[in-house]
Amino acid sequence: MKAALLLCTTLTFAQQLPLATIPPGKTMMVIQPHHDDHTTDYGMGGLIARFTGAGYQSWFIRSSNDEKDGAHGYPHNDMYNLRESEAATKILGMKGVYSLNWRNDYMDAIPLLELRAQIILLIRKHRPDAVLGHDPWGHYDRNPDHRKVARAMAEAVWMAGLANVHPEHLELGLQPHRVPHLFLKARVDYGRGHRPNVAVELNEDQVRRKQKAYVAHRNVYASPGMARSIRAQLQAEGLAVPEFAGKTDDEAAVLIEEWYMDWISRKRGSENGVKYAEVYWQRREFDYLPGLTDYLNANVVNR
Amino acid sequence: MRAILLLLLAVAVQARTVLVVTADAPDFVLAAGGAIAAMAAAGDRVVLVRVTNDDKDSWNLSPEETASRVKGEVERAAKLLGIAQVHSLGYRAGELGGVSPTEIRDRILFYVRLLKPDAMLIPNPYAEYVEVLDRHYTGMAAEEARRIAALANHQPPFAEAGLSTHVVKELFYYAQPFDPRRREAESTATFAPQPKVVDIGSTFDRKLLAAQALQTINYSMAMRIRKRLDDTARRLPLLDVVNEDSVRKLVEINVRKLGEIAARESAYKLAEEFFYSGPDFQVPAKLR
Repeated sequence: MKAALLLCTTLTFAQQLPLATIPPGKTMMVIQPHHDDHTTDYGMGGLIARFTGAGYQSWFIRSSNDEKDGAHGYPHNDMYNLRESEAATKILGMKGVYSLNWRNDYMDAIPLLELRAQIILLIRKHRPDAVLGHDPWGHYDRNPDHRKVARAMAEAVWMAGLANVHPEHLELGLQPHRVPHLFLKARVDYGRGHRPNVAVELNEDQVRRKQKAYVAHRNVYASPGMARSIRAQLQAEGLAVPEFAGKTDDEAAVLIEEWYMDWISRKRGSENGVKYAEVYWQRREFDYLPGLTDYLNANVVNR
Repeated sequence: MRAILLLLLAVAVQARTVLVVTADAPDFVLAAGGAIAAMAAAGDRVVLVRVTNDDKDSWNLSPEETASRVKGEVERAAKLLGIAQVHSLGYRAGELGGVSPTEIRDRILFYVRLLKPDAMLIPNPYAEYVEVLDRHYTGMAAEEARRIAALANHQPPFAEAGLSTHVVKELFYYAQPFDPRRREAESTATFAPQPKVVDIGSTFDRKLLAAQALQTINYSMAMRIRKRLDDTARRLPLLDVVNEDSVRKLVEINVRKLGEIAARESAYKLAEEFFYSGPDFQVPAKLR
């Protein structure tokens, strides 16, 4: 029995991911297609809050116009979603949102190199030390915008460092800049795509900000209709949730979404030996040179 | 004398044609240079198709100057490995995502039907590259070219010009840098490439020389490391002075370590890793 328990404990610990630290730096960018991609259940609100808490100045590049997402129809969804995205970034301590305004859910057909050029320009302007985004190898991600932006981002983060790529940018006084650190949404369910290689531990404040940022997207989340149907189902089964007492459907919906974000953060935390966490595939500054990383780690010294 | 002639004949009969496809200049050298050198040394005729012109990756050189220098360096590297011919398709580096995949595929198909290779070495299109996605686009095109080379209804004009259909019996997928899932076997009923580790102990020196011949890209790599360290108030003593000697040393450390990583969990000291599909590739598992 003792041996079995020990084995279970060992297996549990064997599956835990190393805890990531925030890399040294000053600037971070989140590069994603949609207004809410920086605050959803798979991340990245907690990690963003950690970056901004560590003093990073950070920007959100929203590549699509989000016209399809929400109940207001277009063009109204565009504006609602932009405003809510701005509100969410403020909650997370980010500096602002760049909207590239490609047509929502139609990005599969847009020119990859054109989108990449826009991202390269913004990378050269802000010179981020870290970029957060979707995984370009998430083949089973059914959202065409996710796939497109992930691919453009993955190429832009290193090509921005080559002077021969869009040399016209140098006329603006911009310099080449290779992004040293990358955190990608990691695949945690099925299929290929990078498996998570780090967990990011979150504190209470970071989880609370992540919750608030998520429910800031009221055009698409925290629908009172969802709360209403849950309440009706509970009533039909003779059940009640005490926390709902005295709350409107609006307020109950917000509470449900906050619980969800709390639950997923606790789940990732418990899987990795801490209270709250998010998981990512992290690429460090010299991981692109696997034959040199050990040598550099052993021989690089501070000036 | 007769015995020698018979031996030469036997070697000639066994000698294969091998077609290597690479996206950028360093890919085939770093991921497969040792295996290629061994094939050439064994008498195989090895031909390289290079898809991009490598015009981007340099330090303080224009795209034109970069492409011109790298062309000569790739040809030197290829010669060191024993590669007989180099064909360049000339696409601009980093821009394959904007080129028709069918166009790239059919240009590779041309060489498959022209050379009728017994084996192909191609970038693994499914390796989880994070940065240089030209490797992915090239791998997709090459894999498709290999498949449709056997199908007469693809590119009938090629047949009119005398390029008949051809079945490539062996396929090696390589990845540069390593695929994080390279030791996981793929498996479906009809398609089962398996991990294959190749000993490069006897050809490592040639691989290293070939890697060191890529001077423009190597210097760029060294300067980028140096710049990153300068920007973050750090230094690597080896790169305090970036010159030919220090860059050659850096490349040696890199190439040796790549060989050691690939050799892990094998009987070899230095190796390269592939996914491999052999002659039974065409036959569904249930019929083998």
